[in-house]
Amino acid sequence: MGSPRIWRFATVMVGATVGLSACGSSSGGNNTTVPTQTGNITAGVIAPFTGPAAQFGKLLSAPCFAATDLINQAGGILGHQISCSAIDDTGDAADAVPNVTRAIATTTNLDMTVGLESNTAATTVPLVNAAKIPTITTNGLVAFTTNKLPYYWRLTPSDDANGAAFAVWAVQKGFKNVAVVFQNGIGSEGNLPGLQSAMPKLGGTLGLQLTIPADAASYSSEVARVIAAHPDALIWSADPQTTATFMSEYKQLNNGSLPAMVTATDSLTPDFFGALTHVVGVDYVTNNVYLVGSSFSQTTAAFATYKGALSADSKTSAIADVLSAVGPPASAYDGINILALAMVMAKTTIGSYYNQFVTQVVSPKSGAVVVSDYASGLAALKAGKQIQYVGVIGAVVFNKYHNAAGEFAANVFAADGSASRVGTISGSKVLGLL
Amino acid sequence: MQLIIEAIGFGIATGAVIALGAVGFSVQFGISNILNITYGSLMTLAAYVGLLLINHGVNAWLALVLGAVVVGVVSVVYHRALLAPLVRRGTRAIAMVIVTVSAGIILQYVIVSIAGPESHSYGEQSGSTLHLIGFTLSAGQVAIIVLTASLMLGLHLLLTRTTLGKAMRATSSNRTLARSCGISTDRVSDIAWLISGSLCGAAGVALAITTVSFDFSLGSLFLIPMIAAAVLGGIGQPYGAMLGGLIVGVSSEVAAAVSNPNYKDVVAFMILIIMLLVRPRGLFGAAWSTRRLMEG
Repeated sequence: MGSPRIWRFATVMVGATVGLSACGSSSGGNNTTVPTQTGNITAGVIAPFTGPAAQFGKLLSAPCFAATDLINQAGGILGHQISCSAIDDTGDAADAVPNVTRAIATTTNLDMTVGLESNTAATTVPLVNAAKIPTITTNGLVAFTTNKLPYYWRLTPSDDANGAAFAVWAVQKGFKNVAVVFQNGIGSEGNLPGLQSAMPKLGGTLGLQLTIPADAASYSSEVARVIAAHPDALIWSADPQTTATFMSEYKQLNNGSLPAMVTATDSLTPDFFGALTHVVGVDYVTNNVYLVGSSFSQTTAAFATYKGALSADSKTSAIADVLSAVGPPASAYDGINILALAMVMAKTTIGSYYNQFVTQVVSPKSGAVVVSDYASGLAALKAGKQIQYVGVIGAVVFNKYHNAAGEFAANVFAADGSASRVGTISGSKVLGLL
Repeated sequence: MQLIIEAIGFGIATGAVIALGAVGFSVQFGISNILNITYGSLMTLAAYVGLLLINHGVNAWLALVLGAVVVGVVSVVYHRALLAPLVRRGTRAIAMVIVTVSAGIILQYVIVSIAGPESHSYGEQSGSTLHLIGFTLSAGQVAIIVLTASLMLGLHLLLTRTTLGKAMRATSSNRTLARSCGISTDRVSDIAWLISGSLCGAAGVALAITTVSFDFSLGSLFLIPMIAAAVLGGIGQPYGAMLGGLIVGVSSEVAAAVSNPNYKDVVAFMILIIMLLVRPRGLFGAAWSTRRLMEG
């Protein structure tokens, strides 16, 4: 019974701290009805920056740099410059709580956050929500499909929808008998219900389903079981290190032969590519590994602006090609633009005021100017026009649970580790299989 | 059935690496009475020393030897410079554990700051696949089993057939009595830390070869099953640690073959707890030092 008391205490303390800091920085004494802040704005990137999933921190910081660069070039938000701040959730739900709590209490003008991926979202989302910080999350937890937290906004599909998309792509490629191997963890295992629901409906079979611990010294016994099931393909989700160990042993025990792999675009990272090519070779990785995830067009003006910003910033240019093909970073980029435009609409950078404008930024309206980046949105708003932001991931329609999911695509690695699309998967088809 | 037989083979291969580390850990504890949690980070250090050497064209197996030597020397310095002075000042055992935990975390962060958080690989070192009496093992796994067996035999001969071994066992059994018998216990301690540190280093590089891909958390993740093996065998008892390593390795692999692999470590730890309920001092109990000393 101690835990709920601790939570209540933590929530009260966080709320009090943020409330006090908001009072201190607002100019509530003047005649305007909406309080404002002084000083620069901070966009918090809540992600793992240390530990086995540290690559995610890098991948989610990059779109923040790209978005804030462009926002600052356009003059900032209501005269405030904006910068990104890394908040390390370590990829571990327990470690994330003190780190995020500390960041909320000590970061000046932490007015928006992005990230909060699946491994930690269950503990970090309530913290930022209690602090009234609008958040664009990249988590896929099924629990948030019927979210009721007001400051929570999701632009990525839920994990069960991802699982169903894996099944669609596997069957589309002719892999009717698949083995499912997921690393234990809420993020990976969240794909399973969708996969189990979709595969039989598509005429396929889940031959074997294994959940494996991360970073074990050996997976030989697990590999032997998978080989005995003779799968056409592996539906896979695991960190780079676990993947390398497992696949190396698979190759060893199966006379050098490996089945195709269908995995999530979360694995579209230099670390995953490097770890896997080291042990099974670049030919296998570029020809037999399919990365399925949310999709967006790479021919739009919004995409060109996004990729241009990634390429222009020295902190992100090296991974611009890989990043620009992956859904979650693009969602984070769009999310920052949406929140920034909501601030402009609300004429304040304080979350409790501008949060209600988020849906207005993206909703279609008659006579609204469709804008694809912050600068054009700002110009339209200054001209007194209504806007509809249609960014990199396309038009966004939030449902009553603040969720928006689009289409899916399958990608493959190129020899340099970048990604190219090899097919698309209808979002409505995926949702129909759940 | 074939899966279980194969799993036993995989377990022996995994157990060989666990045993390599567990014996070193056990020797260290036996001689110094210090539960050295830094051991895991020292294994990681060895893996990165091996990586550095392999990236400069050194053969993986030679890198294992050199990694072992480097960590052996580092262990002696670590003991001399930090742990021994604290023991002399009468630092309590629980405080010593915290010191070694802290030192391990510091070392881990130093490694991350130099090598980065991303995973690394020695590349494929497993060689061809061999089929031996129902077991399916890679040449690399067989090499590690043979290496472990050779090192264990060497350690056995050292402990039972040499004056140094006798002195080590005497120091382990009763340091004060050993000193009063004219044994230079400090020198014996240095040698024991050199040997156990070298086993730690060898285990670190062997583990990096086995897992193929590793990062800074390598040794820390592996420390728990290794301590479990040492405790199972009877902490401070090198022969017990050898057997404990094999039991932990085989039980976890067989568990992975017949049940949910997610719980494979749980099965190994359940065996540990049951064993300790039956034999609280571990498989080899406390009899080793005194009884074998009398025999030797």
